[in-house]
Amino acid sequence: MKKFGHISATSYDEASKIVREGNGTIDPIAGGTDLLGTYKDRLLETYPEAVVSLKNIPGSEYIVEEDDRLLIGAGTTLKAIASDETVKKYSQALAEAAYSVASPIIRTTATIGGNVCQDVRCWYYRYPDNIGGRLNCKRKGGDTCYAIAGENRYHSIFGGMSTGSCSSCQHACPAGTNISAYMAKIRANDWEGAAKEFFKYNPMPMMTSRICPHLCTDSCNQNTYGEPVNIPAVERTLGDYILANKEKFYAAPVNTTGKKCAVIGAGPGGLTAAFYLRQAGHEVTIYDAHEKAGGVLRYGIPHYRLPKAIVDEFCDALEDIMGIKFVMNTKVGSDITVEEIRTNNDVVYFGTGAWSQPVLGLDGENLTQFGLNFLEEVNTYLQKAIGEEVLVCGGGNVAMDVALTSKRLGAKKVKLVCLEQRGEMPADEAEIKMAEEEGVEIMNGWGLGKVITDTEGKVTGLEAKKCLAVCDADGRFNPTYDEADTMVVESDFIILATGQKVDVSFLGEALGAQLKTARGLIDADMESGRTKEEGFYAGGDAVTGPDLAIRAIRAGHAAATSMNRDLGIDPVAVLNAAFGGVEAAEDKFVHFDVDGVEETAQAKLYEKPVEERTLASEDRASLAKEEALKEANRCLNCACYAVNPSDITPVLVMLGAAIKTTERTISAKDLFTQKLTVQQILNKGELVTEIQVPKAAGVAHYDKRRVRDAIDFAIVSLADRFVVEDGVVKEASLVFGGVAPVPYELPEVEEYLIGKKLDKAVAKEASEIALAKALPMGKNEYKVFLAKDVVYEAVCRAAGIEKVEIPVL
Amino acid sequence: MNEQIKTISITVNGVVRKFIIGDFEGCVAPSEVLLDTLRDRLHLTAAKRSCERGVCGCCTVIMDGEAVASCMVLTADCDGKSIITLEGLSDPITGELNPLQRAFADNSAFQCGFCTPGIIMSTQALLWKNPNPTEAELTEALSGNYCRCISHYQVIRTVMGFVEEINKEA
Repeated sequence: MKKFGHISATSYDEASKIVREGNGTIDPIAGGTDLLGTYKDRLLETYPEAVVSLKNIPGSEYIVEEDDRLLIGAGTTLKAIASDETVKKYSQALAEAAYSVASPIIRTTATIGGNVCQDVRCWYYRYPDNIGGRLNCKRKGGDTCYAIAGENRYHSIFGGMSTGSCSSCQHACPAGTNISAYMAKIRANDWEGAAKEFFKYNPMPMMTSRICPHLCTDSCNQNTYGEPVNIPAVERTLGDYILANKEKFYAAPVNTTGKKCAVIGAGPGGLTAAFYLRQAGHEVTIYDAHEKAGGVLRYGIPHYRLPKAIVDEFCDALEDIMGIKFVMNTKVGSDITVEEIRTNNDVVYFGTGAWSQPVLGLDGENLTQFGLNFLEEVNTYLQKAIGEEVLVCGGGNVAMDVALTSKRLGAKKVKLVCLEQRGEMPADEAEIKMAEEEGVEIMNGWGLGKVITDTEGKVTGLEAKKCLAVCDADGRFNPTYDEADTMVVESDFIILATGQKVDVSFLGEALGAQLKTARGLIDADMESGRTKEEGFYAGGDAVTGPDLAIRAIRAGHAAATSMNRDLGIDPVAVLNAAFGGVEAAEDKFVHFDVDGVEETAQAKLYEKPVEERTLASEDRASLAKEEALKEANRCLNCACYAVNPSDITPVLVMLGAAIKTTERTISAKDLFTQKLTVQQILNKGELVTEIQVPKAAGVAHYDKRRVRDAIDFAIVSLADRFVVEDGVVKEASLVFGGVAPVPYELPEVEEYLIGKKLDKAVAKEASEIALAKALPMGKNEYKVFLAKDVVYEAVCRAAGIEKVEIPVL
Repeated sequence: MNEQIKTISITVNGVVRKFIIGDFEGCVAPSEVLLDTLRDRLHLTAAKRSCERGVCGCCTVIMDGEAVASCMVLTADCDGKSIITLEGLSDPITGELNPLQRAFADNSAFQCGFCTPGIIMSTQALLWKNPNPTEAELTEALSGNYCRCISHYQVIRTVMGFVEEINKEA
């Protein structure tokens, strides 16, 4: 065991203060029989600098009888509880549970306070570091639960529980989309629920499913076993569903606030901001210089990747159904000033993007085409005069779009030069592959020298120079070249897709001086979108420089949130009202599809063969709903699926006990069943000091099923209490242990049993009801039978049926 | 790290032992468990270092009358406690085994013997509290002591015989 310090506390308050001030470096230790094992195996990444021992706090060990309850000091040993006559008399179940823990030599040391706070026994969680590396599972702050696709014999049969940190896919998504939550709704075939879940983060899955690089898939934990879940494909089907039901999902707000909001720029960020502002009931007007709304979605992305009919349908829904006003063909700064817009509105959002051409300073640069302008023209007219031999410069997604568009426009030959080596190219691998497939010749590792012209000034090619490194030692973009190593690439049509620039001259001089950064961007807080000028907000490329659409969507949403807040509207309440808020209590457990997660290959979108691809129609087709649902079945729904190991907590929940801490008194149900761990509910330094057990009427027992009668933790356990009069059940209370991440209450069984005359048939029915909601993992279905049997026996015992054969198995 | 010097006294087999808890040379580290203190500092090696997780019972000693797994108890927490190890059962001067130890030896209630000190301590703790246990009470009291050579049967037979014997005498 690695060393740590030791402080012997003389009171709980002192111990609490020490833990609190230790700020995570000092652990409280009671009996130590759970915690020392955790230290010895170095289970956790964090190791305490010191422990504060509660063992010698005077007067922490007591069992006191009051009129209607027993008070048990947190430092009381399990042996003392198991053998105490008062406990046996009033809470037989508690005495039985205490007696069932571990072995006699542990019960003499282990305390009830420590028992209720103990950690799980999941073998992945407890994999000792000294055997070859700790398994950093979800519960320990890692990414996934290894039991989902691994050995899960002793794990939950009622689902997992959130560890309080989001899944790795959600973490990777710039918009923070709760992907596993909407996947779960789709698995339940609840598409409306899935849509609502999605709308909490992003209002346009029909766009993002087609254009987003989906960083989430890189973080998908299915990568460990095979291909990641095809999140974009599922999202796309969801987007199709939403558009097909647009009246429902883009409905006008029920209440209006009378506030006016202006959004400048009708791109993904601006449209997102407008959506969430309109949702809150404001009057929203979008200004944009283009003829039609959509920004880069319409003008930057080719039709074959994102059909403009979809952009139309989405923007029309915002305009015609939701009631957002679009003022198009209006260049802010010249057609209308920012000040004028500000005067007419309560708040203004800048989502103006990055549309300008950066000047590279090449000889003959004026003879080249600017990639974004090129795409804009083609996207508008679906035609353009193109050269014979096109040369595209750049290695990003825009360059790929330009190259493919050129090819599909009819260029005989399309070449592409970029600084990066093949593996370093910023474009998506799928996009690069597609370009290569269609005959684009990619030349990696070349920088731009100068444009070469013939005597008449016509472009004939580009002189490229060898790029030695793209980034400098600090990892910053700072290419170095071998000026002597050059080549000439022949071309009569050169398109530069080497980046875009932000132009904020529309702000005018006065406002520009306030809001412009040294880099020529808008100075706004990335989290809130707020600028230094009251009432002005900004986000997306205008603030960050050219970046992904999904980041602009996040910025638009974040800005709308703070705009709402600043307008006196509670943005969380708006979201909750529209898309459902806190999950219902019974939804605290999460599930995955047992067979689905075993599938290692992902469902792929149908993709047209090369010869059928065109400029104007989409290359890929959506999955049908059932196919998307099947793909959603592959989602692991990463959470913690380990079971609560305590024998004491199910009994305390069953008896309606209360737990006194250094700060408050909390019901056993609230402390032990609402969150995955007790530590998530207790404050820093808050210590359990006393257990208050009511003297409940009737007969209470604790039954525990395990392999060996000593040491082993429960595979299934049941705490039960019955009040039976003349063979009829007056009161019943049943709580499972060992089958779920927290003690599992059985209200349906209790309801069923009340008023029943007990017999074997009733016991059988009760056991069926108890397990009705069970969704066992891959290898623990036997726990369902075991749990049924425990319930059956308990009911039979309450009925006075002595000899119980094994009827359920 | 707490650098304050803290002393504790533990009565081990009737002798008061004082220790300094700290990180200085020769001190008992705050993170040291009782088993290590007994074995490495007091050279009382009857309690065995085995699973070190409180599961096997080979390190069982008696603390204030209760059998405990000494591998799961911090020495720093033992201030004022009275510990009895297997060495404390025999006569301190003559080394003569106590009657329970004698019974184990006479009946060869062991195979390799590694777990035997723990089993004897668990049994002794039981008998001091309950000199006339039933077989069920005995097996329960020994349920935290594992024997890989399966000497349990000899142990139960020996102890039950021993119990019968002493109760007959009484």
